[in-house]
Amino acid sequence: MTLHRRSLLAGALTLGAAQAFPGLSHAQARKLVFATFTGSWEEAHRAVLVPAFRKSSGGDVILDPMLSVDQIAKVQAARANPPIDVMLHDPGPALTAIAQDLVEPYPVAQSAHYGDLIADAQEPMGPAPFFQIVGLTYNPEKVKTPPTSWADLWKPEFKGRVGITNLNSTLGTGFLVEIARMHGGSETNIEPGFKALEALKPNLAAVAANPGALAALYQQEQVDIGPGNFNAIQILKARGVPVEFAAPKEGIIAFKTTIHIVKNTPVKELAFKLIEAALSPEVQAKLMQSPYLIVPTNRKVAIEGEVAKVLAKDADELKRKSVFQDWAAINRSRAAWIERFNREIRV
Amino acid sequence: MAAAGAVAAPLRPGRAWTAAYDIRLALPLAAFFLVFFLAPLALLVLVSFYADPGMTRFGLDQYARFLLDPFSLRVLGATLWLGVEVTALTLLLGLPLALLLTWAPGRLRGLLTLIVLLPLLTSVVVRTFAWIVILGRQGIVNAGLLALGLTDTPLKLLYTEGGLVLALAQVQMPLMVLPLVTALSRIDPNLADASAALGAGAWRTFLRVTLPLCLPGIVAGCLLTFAAAITAFITQSLIGGGQMLFMPMYLYQQASSLNNWPFAAAIAIVFLVAVLACVTLLNLVGRLSRGRAQA
Repeated sequence: MTLHRRSLLAGALTLGAAQAFPGLSHAQARKLVFATFTGSWEEAHRAVLVPAFRKSSGGDVILDPMLSVDQIAKVQAARANPPIDVMLHDPGPALTAIAQDLVEPYPVAQSAHYGDLIADAQEPMGPAPFFQIVGLTYNPEKVKTPPTSWADLWKPEFKGRVGITNLNSTLGTGFLVEIARMHGGSETNIEPGFKALEALKPNLAAVAANPGALAALYQQEQVDIGPGNFNAIQILKARGVPVEFAAPKEGIIAFKTTIHIVKNTPVKELAFKLIEAALSPEVQAKLMQSPYLIVPTNRKVAIEGEVAKVLAKDADELKRKSVFQDWAAINRSRAAWIERFNREIRV
Repeated sequence: MAAAGAVAAPLRPGRAWTAAYDIRLALPLAAFFLVFFLAPLALLVLVSFYADPGMTRFGLDQYARFLLDPFSLRVLGATLWLGVEVTALTLLLGLPLALLLTWAPGRLRGLLTLIVLLPLLTSVVVRTFAWIVILGRQGIVNAGLLALGLTDTPLKLLYTEGGLVLALAQVQMPLMVLPLVTALSRIDPNLADASAALGAGAWRTFLRVTLPLCLPGIVAGCLLTFAAAITAFITQSLIGGGQMLFMPMYLYQQASSLNNWPFAAAIAIVFLVAVLACVTLLNLVGRLSRGRAQA
């Protein structure tokens, strides 16, 4: 094969044009990009949600797992041509995304499933396809009597055995609010929470940088008990790590995890279909099975298996046992709390 | 230095032409730097001059907030100090290794080079996780200490500054050893023989001949290790934990969790300036040492 200068130039120009005007080739070829969460969420979505979406829409989807805050940063940096079409958010970042005008209202009228969601999951700016549940996680080989209350973390027998995360995560912030509430505080009165953290210091073995790092510490037996995400420990359990979940009697913390159509997405129709698939009873029923154990929000899904055993038997019981925190209030003070945590919690 | 001068001499007649050619060769890289490094950096500087997180008006508020706050300054100090500790430990452990590598015979040398390079072939995340296993309560170190009866309860090694310094020193070791080996292998072995012939012992030869001549390598190694250690976000957060605050985590917290881009940008610029100051200082030491080595 001979390469002529002219044909090379033509080739280079074509490539250059494709770079300069991506719309030329991408308009039809653009796949839907869904930013799910890392870890067990990505595994679950890849195995259940993606095949269901392919079947119902005929379209294709790319999973690009990342933290909520990173999703917001990416979309914010390229509002007109967002690199993500569907975002998944914890309650705090969801409010930020809405406040910064990064998401479309959900086309509720066209949705087949929106009306079937339990009331707490019906969010017009982006419905909740599942709840994240935070309670107590512990190593059953070291902690013989299962804990029953957040207050158990302060027991002297757990000196140097408790693990928490800092306030960068929803888990760490939610835990702080809950212990404030336990001592008479609230989202707007966090003082009792910080006092309780101060008293927890002798028991603290680790303040992990993020929930993933915290989960790994159970594996290393660096910590034996602490606040933890119900779904995050399922991966560890499936791999044989001795770790169990217990619902504290004060109530489990339920985080509405919401799914949003990104503003200015070129594939809005596909984005809508993906979210419809995520809300559908078929997908939610499958995601509730082992090993995913993702808590459903569609009332047509009968809660069963491990989720029914550990958390709640139906939507009403789930609502009764759960605490939904006021993230609008939390977001207003979170910067100040993080600052205070930086300064005061040195172990 | 005399040797370098001898090599450069024959090129001298064509120097003007060579220089022009050299610059053109650097153009693609320069363009790349301009677009992907200088432009974002300029943007970063611009963002840091916004007075509020909403980025509506300009002002020096973010810098004032950082520089007038003892807590923030302590974080900066702790980060730079961490770099000093890691660099010192890496030098202490890396110099003997580099000497061994330079003096080793052919086959052993190949093996040692492989061992030094091996960490570079695995990701930092993997190396860091290995340290979690080593330093944990049930880790190798604690298991060994317990078995030997040196301690009754497992020591807390993970999530401590000592553990972090140790892990960072191992993770960044190749950055120190490789420049050292390069500098050491450039030293004429006859010089050591000459020193011995003139009656100097092994230590004296090392201190008066080898060490001064490999100072440029030491400075280069220290620069690389220092810069890598203070910016090692992954190792710092996994081994140091969430309560040990260093600049990279401070910056990430403000940018990502709090969406306060102007303050995050100001932190980045302050950090950049502080690191540049340290680098300049080290370079100055390097230049002085080069003068000494020639004398």
